[in-house]
Amino acid sequence: METSPVRPETENAMGNDSPELRPTQGDSAPSHPVPRDNETIVRLKTKASRGLFAMALFIALSIGAIRDFDFLPTLPPRVHALLGHPPSVNLISPVLLLYSFSAIILILSRMMSGSGVSSSFTHVAYLAGFYFFYHFSGAMEENFWAVFAAGVTILALDSYHVWTYCTEEIKKEQEILEEIARKNHREDRSED
Amino acid sequence: MFKTLTARAIVPVSVAVTGFVVVCCLLLYSTMKNDLMNDAIRCETSMADMVIKSTRYAMSRSDRDMLRNIIDNVGDQKGIEHLRIFNNKGVIMFSRNHPEVNRLVDKKASGCVGCHAGPVPATTLGPMEQARRFVNEWGTEVIAITAPIYNSPSCSSAECHFHNQAQMVLGTLDIGLSAAPLEQTLSIMRKRMLIFSIMVLILTVGGVAALLRRQVFLPLQEITEFASNVKRGNLTQKLSGTYGELTELADSVRTVASSFGKAVQEDTKPGEGNTAVQADVP
Repeated sequence: METSPVRPETENAMGNDSPELRPTQGDSAPSHPVPRDNETIVRLKTKASRGLFAMALFIALSIGAIRDFDFLPTLPPRVHALLGHPPSVNLISPVLLLYSFSAIILILSRMMSGSGVSSSFTHVAYLAGFYFFYHFSGAMEENFWAVFAAGVTILALDSYHVWTYCTEEIKKEQEILEEIARKNHREDRSED
Repeated sequence: MFKTLTARAIVPVSVAVTGFVVVCCLLLYSTMKNDLMNDAIRCETSMADMVIKSTRYAMSRSDRDMLRNIIDNVGDQKGIEHLRIFNNKGVIMFSRNHPEVNRLVDKKASGCVGCHAGPVPATTLGPMEQARRFVNEWGTEVIAITAPIYNSPSCSSAECHFHNQAQMVLGTLDIGLSAAPLEQTLSIMRKRMLIFSIMVLILTVGGVAALLRRQVFLPLQEITEFASNVKRGNLTQKLSGTYGELTELADSVRTVASSFGKAVQEDTKPGEGNTAVQADVP
């Protein structure tokens, strides 16, 4: 049976030092270190919303793709010649299928292992690549919705995974902070 | 919504399965549509070749009545939207639609621009480049193909009339078939794929949900209820129906409950609690 590695008690779930051990700021700091809820929790909250930014970026990219990037300047023939022939649709589509499958499996395995790693923006870059390949192959109209569905699925799963992970970590951090606050309160009362 | 264990377990599975099935279906549909379209173009190309070959004799004899007859008869077939032959100047010489005979074809029209894009018209094109798809003036979607009628020794050396040997293309045959049967096939295919996808989704998500509920959530709910009862002081309730890893959790809860029950029983025995208190008193 697999066992999770035991973390030292001075570390929280994110591997940071317990707020008790963090240095206090300035001379005006109270005798008992006041837990700083800000840094880690704010960082986790920012991380939790990163998936939404990736999704927004992907939707903006998709709006351009549905218009077949007509707002972009056409490439000069020299650049076209340099790039060579675009890959055929029969090659791009299986690669998209393979990519979607492996991306979903990767995110599900991260969910299973409880890892907080997110790669939303990398996925947006991959999906942009597919849009551009279809654009250069002249098959954007037929394949736009496939790339869009793949993108929405992958980014939604990734966002959900990161959001649940960060929510759990924030909860753990808050529990630690509450515990420290209770401890400080007890010590203050005993000194009185 | 995401606070319950059920939602947390079902949502990722549903999103992953739904998304992947949708991507698969869209890609499959796109590939099959492409294949059907290519088949239709291949079929049309062979039909155009057949018409050209069947008119060759009449052309070499310069028998215009026979040519007109062939064009009319072939063009009357069901599904053929237009059939015409125009010469190398772009004048329609024969057509199923008689009023358009002797009219000039627009070289910038969708079917002509492929060859006439440059200053010198192209003389050879692949079958896919010869094809075009458009809606005609009667509102019917048409897949059309233009096949060049090439010069041959029998044409250039015919007794009745002759073309210059250097002239490669004598004219063009333009045939257009209705896209309605293809669209109908695609529509049936779309419906079948939709039904298939919905069935796969219901089976997968429903199966996972049912198994999770039966194997995990219900036993967990029983353990939770049992623990709540213990907390409320009800120590007589029995805990059963757990298996797998949940048995361990149930055993732990059961042990805690029985220890707690024993402690309560000892505490409530008459006199004992008081003696302990008395023993402490000097």
